Amino acid sequence: MIEWSDEDLMIRDAVRGWIDAEVRPNLDALESGELPPYDLLRSLYKTFGMDEMARSSFHAALAKEKSGEKGEKGERSGGGGAAMTMLPVIELCKVAPGLVSAMGVGLGLAAGTIMKRGTPEQKERWALPLLTMEKVGAWAITEPNSGSDAFGGMQATARKDGDEYVINGGKTFITNGPYADTIVFYCKLDDGRDPRDREILTFVLDRGMDGLEQTRPLRKMGLHSSPTGELFLSDVRAGADRLLASGEGGGKESARQNFVTERAGVAAMALGVIEECLKLSVEYAKTRELWGQRIGDFQLIQLKLAKMEVARLNVQNLVFRHIEMQRAGRPMTLAEASAMKLYAAQAASEVAQEAVQLFGGNGYMSEYRVEQLARDAKSFQIYAGTDEIQITHIARDLLSR
Amino acid sequence: MNIVVLVKQVPDTESPRKLKSDDSTLDRAAADGVINELDEYAIEEALKIKEAHGGEVTVLTMGPAKATDSIRKALAMGADKAVHLVDDGLAGSDALQTSYAIQQALGRTGFDIVILGSESTDARTGVLAAMLSERLGVPQITLANKVEIDGSAIKAQRVTDYGYDRVEATLPAVVSVVEKINEPRYPSFKGIMAAKKKPVETLGLGDAGIDAAQVGLANAATEVVDFADAPARAQGQIVTDEGDGGAKIAEFLASKKFV
Ligand SMILES: Cc1cc2nc3c(=O)[nH]c(=O)nc-3n(C[C@H](O)[C@H](O)[C@H](O)COP(=O)(O)OP(=O)(O)OC[C@H]3O[C@@H](n4cnc5c(N)ncnc54)[C@H](O)[C@@H]3O)c2cc1C
Ligand SMILES: Cc1cc2nc3c(=O)[nH]c(=O)nc-3n(C[C@H](O)[C@H](O)[C@H](O)COP(=O)(O)OP(=O)(O)OC[C@H]3O[C@@H](n4cnc5c(N)ncnc54)[C@H](O)[C@@H]3O)c2cc1C
Repeated sequence: MIEWSDEDLMIRDAVRGWIDAEVRPNLDALESGELPPYDLLRSLYKTFGMDEMARSSFHAALAKEKSGEKGEKGERSGGGGAAMTMLPVIELCKVAPGLVSAMGVGLGLAAGTIMKRGTPEQKERWALPLLTMEKVGAWAITEPNSGSDAFGGMQATARKDGDEYVINGGKTFITNGPYADTIVFYCKLDDGRDPRDREILTFVLDRGMDGLEQTRPLRKMGLHSSPTGELFLSDVRAGADRLLASGEGGGKESARQNFVTERAGVAAMALGVIEECLKLSVEYAKTRELWGQRIGDFQLIQLKLAKMEVARLNVQNLVFRHIEMQRAGRPMTLAEASAMKLYAAQAASEVAQEAVQLFGGNGYMSEYRVEQLARDAKSFQIYAGTDEIQITHIARDLLSR
Repeated sequence: MNIVVLVKQVPDTESPRKLKSDDSTLDRAAADGVINELDEYAIEEALKIKEAHGGEVTVLTMGPAKATDSIRKALAMGADKAVHLVDDGLAGSDALQTSYAIQQALGRTGFDIVILGSESTDARTGVLAAMLSERLGVPQITLANKVEIDGSAIKAQRVTDYGYDRVEATLPAVVSVVEKINEPRYPSFKGIMAAKKKPVETLGLGDAGIDAAQVGLANAATEVVDFADAPARAQGQIVTDEGDGGAKIAEFLASKKFV
């Protein structure tokens, strides 16, 4: 794949038109947190029939599973499928990357985990309403004392009590936490063993369960259109119907598979930020005049533009490669997804910072939009594994060959 | 119900538009082509009528090969098929000739109702609905902001300077719409993927039974004699408010006969 197809471009233009009409006018309300992102995301889904598509592919997958056929890997991909999921991500990230975090966590992580490890009943009950955007999903691993060392340091516990489990613990930095209807919650089985050796269990929890507290959104640097909060659980009782199967390799392994999806997705997000910053920067370089010439005539400004273009080409190629691999049904290794995420996140962050610089004082002002993208893009280097963690994954893979 | 919607591809109003110096016709290659804005409302109305009464929506476009982009978009929105009238002999046709050519094409598609925009953003003659109904010998309902179909009767509301008229006619009829009539849908992703597979019939002059001597720039009844760029917008007038700002605004509006 060297460029988007005609259909892809039609999808892109249609989504772009919708974003101009529906998202841009609401940007201030999204940024202040006054407007949670979910109604807009639902409207996006409904407008383009993505809810119906999700519903029918869900039923098709479930029917296949019930009839005993083993589902193909990468079911959601298919021909146009990969581009169809990437293009809205890219376009939304030009305006409000937080919308994509809010969307991606519910669909990719929360629903994704249930679809991989749930029983048909669990899928129907919890994953379907997430896949159609009817409900809001969260995916909770991180704790105050365990971020990068997610599983080692995990302190949340589940204790068996008769047929039920009693869950205790706290989670933080949870995307959609404040508004989630459905929470995929990771904790350790308290069976008296050393905490580091305990089995990881994954539960599906509902808003309003006794003992479950979802805090208000935390104040943060950027990504304001994605509400992030804390969860506190004290003696939350969950039946076995809420426990997801451990699957091969257990909860850890399935979380790792999620990392691959999530990290590859960050490249598409980065591409949106880069394309927008580059477009705005070129326009500005052509119109802002100093010393009787456009600033684009200064070589130091040209260097910034050229580097942005190099980043755009590289990240676009990574996105195209990811789409091609999905089409070919070839899974991406964790190390490759990590490399992709590391490069794309750093590129987006750097490009956005340089865009602020190129705009001078205007760049520091909200009206010119690049400062928001710069704050938003910084998050790419932290969530879904920090830059440093990506580096350790890439290096570990190289050294183990 | 056989619903035909007329869709014209026009240069994007966002991009600079110009006429060619050699033959005074629009430089269609210079700007991105988009569906004439009002035609999106016409398409939406056609789809709504189909959804309510059944039938088929056919897109009819007269324009260069490039106009297929607009046809695809109309199909992606949900139209069933398209007829593309394309022939070098049609280039430079004026409104009278366009109405003739479209009439001939309609002879092939047949129709119960023809829906079109009330004016295009490029030529803006706004006469096509009237010319077509005259040629076809069917009632015209122009500037509709509401349309209802009841059996073979069509009831509509026409926008006027003083409010609106309620008019009624029997089908077949020609209806031109204004933007208040509805909110055009976005093409769904599924619609976009399906558009590729929908039939588009390409017609040349001969296929549509169009007499070559009656169309094209050389045979046009009208001629663009001269044209000039729109004058650059002059700088606005700045009035400082010294407590009498309101009065000054009223004075200005009165002097221009706005109030
Ligand atoms: C906006 C946002 C949304 C988030 N959403 C979610 C969510 O929905 N669900 C969820 O579970 N979590 C979520 N997180 C949490 C996120 O995954 C963690 O913040 C991230 O994994 C880093 O963990 P930490 O914050 O504990 O940092 P720490 O792990 O404390 O890291 C501190 C520093 O040490 C570095 N470091 C750590 N280990 C090593 C090492 N081995 N070698 C070298 N350096 C190292 C890190 O790179 C970092 O620079 C979100 C975070 C943010 C910012
Ligand atoms: C700048 C300019 C000036 C012009 N001036 C004149 C002029 O003064 N006199 C004249 O006779 N011609 C003129 N023309 C030619 C005119 O563009 C064509 O004849 C045109 O196809 C019909 O006129 P319209 O677009 O103004 O129709 P309108 O009546 O304004 O258009 C109404 C609707 O008719 C439908 N429609 C129009 N054209 C087509 C088409 N080709 N295919 C499918 N549906 C269509 C659309 O639904 C449209 O919304 C001019 C063209 C240009 C570019």
